[in-house]
Amino acid sequence: MTLQLIVTGLALGSMYGLVALGYHITWATSRTMNFSQGHAVMAGAVVAYAAFVALGLPFALALPVTLVALAGFGAIVERVAVRPFFLRASPAWLLATIAVGIIAENVAMLTFGKDARAFPSALMRRPIMVGSAGFYPQELLVPLVGLLLMGLVQLFYHRTPYGKQLKAVAWNPEAAGLMGINIPRAVMTSYALSALLAGIAGVLLAPLLNVAPQMGTIIGLKAFAVAIIGGLTSAPGIILAGLGYGLVEAFTAGYVSTRAREIVGFGLVIAVLIVRPWGLLGEKPSRRV
Amino acid sequence: MDRIGWVTLAAATAAVPFLTSNTYYLYVAISVGLLTIVTAGLNVLVGFTGQTSLGHAGLYAFGAYTAALCATRAGLDEWLAIAMAIVVTSIVGAAVAGAALRVSGPYLAMVTIAFGLIVEGVLIEWGSVTGGPGGIFNIPKPALRSHYWTVMIAAALALWLTANLRRSAWGRAFLAVKESEIAAESLGLSSYYVRIVAFTVSAAFAGAAGALYTFLNGYISPDSFTLQTSILFLLALLFGGLGRIAGPVIGSLALTLLPELLTRLIDYRLILYGTLLLISIYWLPEGVVGALSRGRRARAASPPALSPEGTGEVTREEEFRNPLPHRSSGQREGVLLTAESVTLSFGGVAALAEVRLAVYRGSIHAVIGPNGAGKTTLLNVLSGYYAPDRGRLVLEGRPADGLQPYAVARRGVARTFQTAQVFGGLSVRDNVAVGVAGPRLAAVASALVGTPGARRGESEFQGRAQALLESLGLAAFADHPAAALPAGLRRKLEIARALATRPILLMLDEPAAGLSPAEIGELDRQLTELRDEGGLAIILVEHHMDLVMAVSDRITVLDYGRVIADGAPEDVRRNPAVIEAYLGAAT
Repeated sequence: MTLQLIVTGLALGSMYGLVALGYHITWATSRTMNFSQGHAVMAGAVVAYAAFVALGLPFALALPVTLVALAGFGAIVERVAVRPFFLRASPAWLLATIAVGIIAENVAMLTFGKDARAFPSALMRRPIMVGSAGFYPQELLVPLVGLLLMGLVQLFYHRTPYGKQLKAVAWNPEAAGLMGINIPRAVMTSYALSALLAGIAGVLLAPLLNVAPQMGTIIGLKAFAVAIIGGLTSAPGIILAGLGYGLVEAFTAGYVSTRAREIVGFGLVIAVLIVRPWGLLGEKPSRRV
Repeated sequence: MDRIGWVTLAAATAAVPFLTSNTYYLYVAISVGLLTIVTAGLNVLVGFTGQTSLGHAGLYAFGAYTAALCATRAGLDEWLAIAMAIVVTSIVGAAVAGAALRVSGPYLAMVTIAFGLIVEGVLIEWGSVTGGPGGIFNIPKPALRSHYWTVMIAAALALWLTANLRRSAWGRAFLAVKESEIAAESLGLSSYYVRIVAFTVSAAFAGAAGALYTFLNGYISPDSFTLQTSILFLLALLFGGLGRIAGPVIGSLALTLLPELLTRLIDYRLILYGTLLLISIYWLPEGVVGALSRGRRARAASPPALSPEGTGEVTREEEFRNPLPHRSSGQREGVLLTAESVTLSFGGVAALAEVRLAVYRGSIHAVIGPNGAGKTTLLNVLSGYYAPDRGRLVLEGRPADGLQPYAVARRGVARTFQTAQVFGGLSVRDNVAVGVAGPRLAAVASALVGTPGARRGESEFQGRAQALLESLGLAAFADHPAAALPAGLRRKLEIARALATRPILLMLDEPAAGLSPAEIGELDRQLTELRDEGGLAIILVEHHMDLVMAVSDRITVLDYGRVIADGAPEDVRRNPAVIEAYLGAAT
C-alpha cells in the first residue's frame, strides 16, 4: 500500500505544485493573483473534454485547442478582474477574480452539465502491478509531466530574455517600466501562463478525477495552500511543498480517512502561517515605513 | 440612510406579519433578517477594519450547531441556547482571529477559507455529535410568527449596536487601523489586537444569526455552511455598502429577494452572484447605500468645501492659549532617551552604524545629515518600527529594546512621518480623538451598547480633541475629512494627533518640508513653546537649517549611517567634518 500511496501522492502533489506555480508567477509580476486559479483547472478539463470527447477531435488537436483557450481565459481574468484594480493597490482584485471564477463555474454547468463525467484515457485501462500494489500509467505520467513543466518554467524565467524581463518586473516594476518593458503586457502574459499551467493540470487530472464544473474550488484552494506553505515568492519552495502536500494527503487518506485529508491539509496551512507566514523557502517581507 | 428611511423600514418590517400570513413570505423576510445580522457583524470586520473574511459561514455554523446541540442534547430553552451560541462562537472567533490575523490580504483570505472548509469537513466527519451529512433535526422551534419578531428585533439590535460602535473610540480605532496601520501603532494602538476585537465582534453576530437560523428551520445540515455561503455574506455587504450602517439591510434585501424573484433562473444563480460582485466592485465602491446618499448630497448642496476663515487669521494668543498637557513624571532635567551602538543594515548596506544619541528632557534635539544619511531610519528604530541588528535603547532609565511601535508609543513617545500619515476617511477632530484615546479603549461591549460610562469617556475624548485643535489653529477644519486637507495642514494635524497622546518625547520627521516661510516661523514658535512651557523633549529631523539652528539645543549629525558630530549648534556649525560632509556641500 505504501508504494501506491507514494505514487498517488506524487501525482496529485505535482499537480498542486503546477497550479500553485501559477499563483507564484502572477504574484511575482504584479503582487496579485487569480483566486479562481482552481477554476482554470476545471476549465482545462472541461474544454479538453469538449474537444476530445464531445467533438471527437484527435488528442493531438484537442490539446492545443485547450491550451489556447486557457491562455485566453487567463488574459481575460487579467483584463476584467485585475488590471482595473492593480494600480490602485486595492484588494478588490481578490473578490473580482472570485467573481470571474464563479461565473465560469456556472457557464460550465450550463454547457457541460452538473454531473461528473469520466475522461477516457488509454493510460487508465490496465494497471501496472508491482507486488500487491497497482497503479495506472497515467499516475506515473502526471508527476513526470508536472516536474518537466515546472523545470521548463524555471528555465523560461532564468534563461530566456523575455523570462528575464518578467523577473525584472517582479523585482522593481518602476525600473523595469523605465527600461522599456511593457508592464501591463507582462502582467497579462503572466496571467495567461498561469492559467495555461492550471489548464494542463486539468487535462492531466481529468482521467484520474473525473470532470465536473465544481472540481475547481478545492483544487485551487489546495494549490493555494501549497503556495503559502512553500512560500509565494519561491518557485522551488512551491514545487517541494506541492510534492510534500500530495504525500501527506495520500497517506492521511490511506491511513485515516478521505475527509481527514482536507482537515489535516488546511490545518497544516494554518500552522505554517502562524509559525512562518512567509512560507518555508519564501522571503521574509520587511516592514516599510 | 436618513431618519425617514429608517422609520419607513421599521414600519414596513412591523407591517409584514399583519399583511400576510403566508408562511413563505414570513420565511423569506426572516432570511433577510438573518443575513442582515451576519453582514452587520461582517461590516465591523470588513467595512470598519478593512480585513476580508471568506470563512464566516464557518462561524455561522458554530452558532447554528451550538444552539442545536444545546436545544436537543442539553434540553436548554431557546434563549439560553442562543446565548450559548453567541458565547461559543465569540470564543472560537477570537481563537481563529488570533491565528489568522498574523497575516493580511490574500493570506488572510486563505486562512479564513481554510477555517470554513475545516468546519465543514468536521461537521460531515464527526457524525456522532453533528449528525454527519444528514445534520441535526427535530430541534424544538418556536412558531414562525413569533420567530419573525425575534429575528427582526435582533436585526434591528445588530444595526443599532454597530452604529454605536462606529461612533465610539473603538469605531475610530477600527477605521484608524484600516486607514493607516503604521500611524495607528504610533498612537499606542496594537493593530493586531484591534483586528482581533473586530473579528470577535463579527463572530458573535454570526453566532447569533446561526442560532436564530437553527430555530427557524428546526433542522440544520452542513449544506448551509459552505464557501459559497461565505461569499454570499461578503457579496451582500459589498452590494449594500461597505462600512455603511444601512449597507447590511439593503444588501440582505437584495440578495435574498433577487434569487427568490428569479427562481426560474436558479441555474444562473452563480452568474448572478458573480455579476453583482463585479458590479459592486466596479461601480459601487460604497454599495447601493453609498451611491444613493452620494446622489442625494450632490442634489442637495455642493460638497463641503474647506472654509477659509481661520486658516492664517488665527492670532497668537488664540493659538497658544493653553500649553499642552503631557504626562510629565515631574522631572524636567536629565537624560530621557539614550541610544547606544545602534546598528542596522538592509541587505548588506549599513543604514546605521554604531549610532549614539542622548536626548535630554525639555530639549530640542535635531538630527541632521545629507539625504540617505539614515535620519528617518534612526527615527524608525527609536520608535520601534525597525528592529536594529545591534544596539541598546534606554527610555526613562528603563530598557526600551525590542518593543513594538505601539508599546513604544505607550511609553510616551509620539511621532510624525515624513509623508504625513493622516486617517483620511476620519474627520480632523476624529483623527486627534484617536490619539487622545490611544490604547485607553473601554470594554468593547460598552461601546456596542453605548453605556453612560462609554458616552462620558467619549465626550471627554471629543472635548480634549477639540481643545487641541483650537490651540493649534485647526478648529475651523474639525469636521472636514482629513483627506481633504492640503499638505501643510496635514502635517499640522499629525503634530496635533501626536500631542494628543500626551507624549514625553515627540519625534518630528521633516515637519517644515513644504511649509511657507510664515508657516515655518509659526512652527519655530510652537516648538520652542512646547519645550519651554510643556517641558517636552523633541527630536527634530529636518533639512531646513535656519529652523534647526534657531530652535535646537543640541544637534547630532549623521552621514552614511554614522554620527560625525554631536553637540551644541554653534559647535556643530564650526565642525570641519560637518562642513565637509554636509553644510559645505549644501551651502
